[in-house]
Amino acid sequence: MHRFGALLKILLINYFGISVRQLRDPVNRKEYLKKLGLGLIIVVALAPTIVLYTNILIKGYEVLAPLGQAGAILTLGMVLVSALVFFFGVFYVVSLFYFAADAESLLALPLRAWQVLGARFCLLLCYEYLTALPFLLPPLIVYGVKSGAGLSYWLMALLGFLVIPVLPLSLAAIPTTIVMRFANLSRRKDMFKIVGSIFVIALVIAYQFFFQNAAPQNMDPEFLQRLFTQRNGLMDQLSGVFPSTRYLGLALVDAGKLIGLLNLAIFMLVSFLGLILAWFVGEKFYYQGLMGSSETSARRKVLSHKDYQKLTNPSSALFAYMLKEIRLLLRTPTYFMNSVMTNLLAPLLILLPFYLQSRRGITMPWSNLMNTPQGQSTLLVAVVAIILFITGSNAMTATAISREGKEFYISRFIPLSYKQQISAKILSAYIFGVIGALMMIVASRILFPQSVLFMVLLLGVSLVAIIPILEAGLLIDILRPKLEWENEQQAFKQNLNVLFSLLFALIIAGVIVYMVITFFHSLLWAALFMLTFFTVLAALLYYLLMNWGITLYQELES
Amino acid sequence: MIEINGVSKSYNRATVKAVDNVSLTVNNGEIFGFLGPNGAGKTTLIKMITGILNADAGSIRINGYNISEDPISAKMQFGFVPDDPNIFARLSGIEYLNFIADIYQVPGSQRGSRIKQLLQRFDMLNAAGDRIQSYSHGMKQKIVVIGALLHDPPVWILDEPMTGLDPRSSFDLKEMMREHADAGKTVFFSTHVLDVAEKVCDRLAIINKGKVIFCGSMQEIRAHARENESLENLFLELTEDA
Ligand SMILES: Nc1ncnc2c1ncn2[C@@H]1O[C@H](COP(=O)(O)OP(=O)(O)OP(=O)(O)O)[C@@H](O)[C@H]1O
Ligand SMILES: [Mg+2]
Repeated sequence: MHRFGALLKILLINYFGISVRQLRDPVNRKEYLKKLGLGLIIVVALAPTIVLYTNILIKGYEVLAPLGQAGAILTLGMVLVSALVFFFGVFYVVSLFYFAADAESLLALPLRAWQVLGARFCLLLCYEYLTALPFLLPPLIVYGVKSGAGLSYWLMALLGFLVIPVLPLSLAAIPTTIVMRFANLSRRKDMFKIVGSIFVIALVIAYQFFFQNAAPQNMDPEFLQRLFTQRNGLMDQLSGVFPSTRYLGLALVDAGKLIGLLNLAIFMLVSFLGLILAWFVGEKFYYQGLMGSSETSARRKVLSHKDYQKLTNPSSALFAYMLKEIRLLLRTPTYFMNSVMTNLLAPLLILLPFYLQSRRGITMPWSNLMNTPQGQSTLLVAVVAIILFITGSNAMTATAISREGKEFYISRFIPLSYKQQISAKILSAYIFGVIGALMMIVASRILFPQSVLFMVLLLGVSLVAIIPILEAGLLIDILRPKLEWENEQQAFKQNLNVLFSLLFALIIAGVIVYMVITFFHSLLWAALFMLTFFTVLAALLYYLLMNWGITLYQELES
Repeated sequence: MIEINGVSKSYNRATVKAVDNVSLTVNNGEIFGFLGPNGAGKTTLIKMITGILNADAGSIRINGYNISEDPISAKMQFGFVPDDPNIFARLSGIEYLNFIADIYQVPGSQRGSRIKQLLQRFDMLNAAGDRIQSYSHGMKQKIVVIGALLHDPPVWILDEPMTGLDPRSSFDLKEMMREHADAGKTVFFSTHVLDVAEKVCDRLAIINKGKVIFCGSMQEIRAHARENESLENLFLELTEDA
């Protein structure tokens, strides 16, 4: 246990950069103040979104409380957080357990597999708390304040907050560890690990799908009645995706009563069992999955004449540069997981819970709204906002220069103008952006069937909307590229540009949502407004990028 | 032909200049060696010639094209081999070479045969289809050299090209440098191995602490060294490195 603690401490210092000793050093302190200032900016920028979320929760409480269903807002937050933790968990487990630079070096230490895995698990948990905070804190507080809860509620809420990510994270770690063990048997390890993690997510989605199919499909009146007359029946239904959240929800609703404590105990027990199982599976499979994971295969085979013809096909310099960008994105597991996968899976991640609920026959409160003009313009802007969020968070352009790292000198000496390099970077990211947007559009279409006109407008707006986000990302990366890194993980995970790009996307999303909801109440006007807005913004940023950006690029020296 | 005129560079606005007011002319048809101890400023100067770094002062022309005013034309003139072969490890050798060929617009008709010929010359035919990730240090160096020679550039700029190459490839590269210069083109390379410089260079410059302290043919240097004590000291230092 002593070794476990030491390892965890090292990991925490290494990844979060927090240690008391460093704080005493004035140079480091300055860095910390800078980071703190940045954090503050981020919080301020996120504030409107959180206020909006809180307002919705308050409204929700007021509507649901008379029906005896107020606990549903707690469950909503918990299910949301569990889903997020689970999905990100699969990515994080793969990248932190298997692809981190220090992963293999730990193999040489006299530690048991479960200790290493466990320490990394705790590290991940800390990351997940940061993810969970903005989603879970508002419902916990709203419910607590509105219901005038006592001390026992607040204590339970704190405990619940700390424990709630454990189960979804275990559920992410278990299949991932097993799949990685077997992916490691293959010759093309990189690729198989990526495929493996997709497989895990697909497995869970499939499981949910069939599991949900067993539930009543139609809204038979009896079921509906039960849903709303039974105390906290809605809560039960919502928690279906992550059953453990149900017990915590019930515990919180009845905090202070014996039944509440009992539910809390069940919740803790289930979480603890998940944890034990995850670490047990880790002890069995982790090291075998890790060993030799950085090896690549080499065939050392002479290429045939036909291969040469195929592989030496000429194309334009711009296209060659784009192709290089795309290949590196697809082939580098860290980049693939962080950028490409986020792009493809985020729509699923965001919409799946709603989809599952609607399959279970729970009509969403807003489904009637959809057919009014204002409902349609709201849906339009909501989907566009999510697409902006996805494009911002995959940071494809915001790390485009950082990702080059030690290879950056190549971009400097090849005879391809910086203008063309910038264009190639934007274009290659645009291809992925369009794919992501299409995923989102298809997903939203399945969830909220809409007219052809709506889909056409949505597609049109989305195709323009992602451009300024990509441009801004690249501008950010040109301004402050992170070129000095040892492993690819750092180019992404320890790169604030990712955050800045996300922030920019969130602000723009906030602006259009506000504008459309307040001023543009018909589908056509909303679409027209957004098209104009994004076109102007894209042109503006293009101008900035091609003038100021190129000057800055010229001055960049690795 | 490379014309370097009064070029200076200091890193991070430091007071110490890594390259201090260097002027050199490398003529067509010659192999020019750039000699100096570790940290003398060789790599820094080469990075400025190739446009990787911007010079603080002075001008650099390659076949008449100014690297800061007409960068694309200037960059088309040379092939460059860096001291540390950091290249796209996730591409296969052949993909990297084709990328370079596209960037330098090597015509499709010559491309396949030229790539094959160079791969053969450096004994890399059987590794071309594999990821660069799987290469040894020397193999990486070779693929970079092949990339630099692919578009048959009139000027070759090589930063310590022999380190990491096996004797056979090193010999071949020297031979190719000779052929290139004999065809009326330019070779500029850095080294801290006096022996190499002595065997292949037509002319050379010695740089120390950012300043060129001598420039001339090998014989001129030897003659000069006898009279000038400090130069001989530097010479000793250099030969000890080798
Ligand atoms: N990125 C950098 N930042 C700060 N100083 C640097 C950097 N690169 C080189 N220097 C300094 O510039 C000077 C010249 O370095 P340079 O790499 O040009 O030497 P070199 O002649 O190529 O040496 P070597 O034979 O070891 O390759 C050295 O004093 C070095 O410390
Ligand atoms: Mg050097």
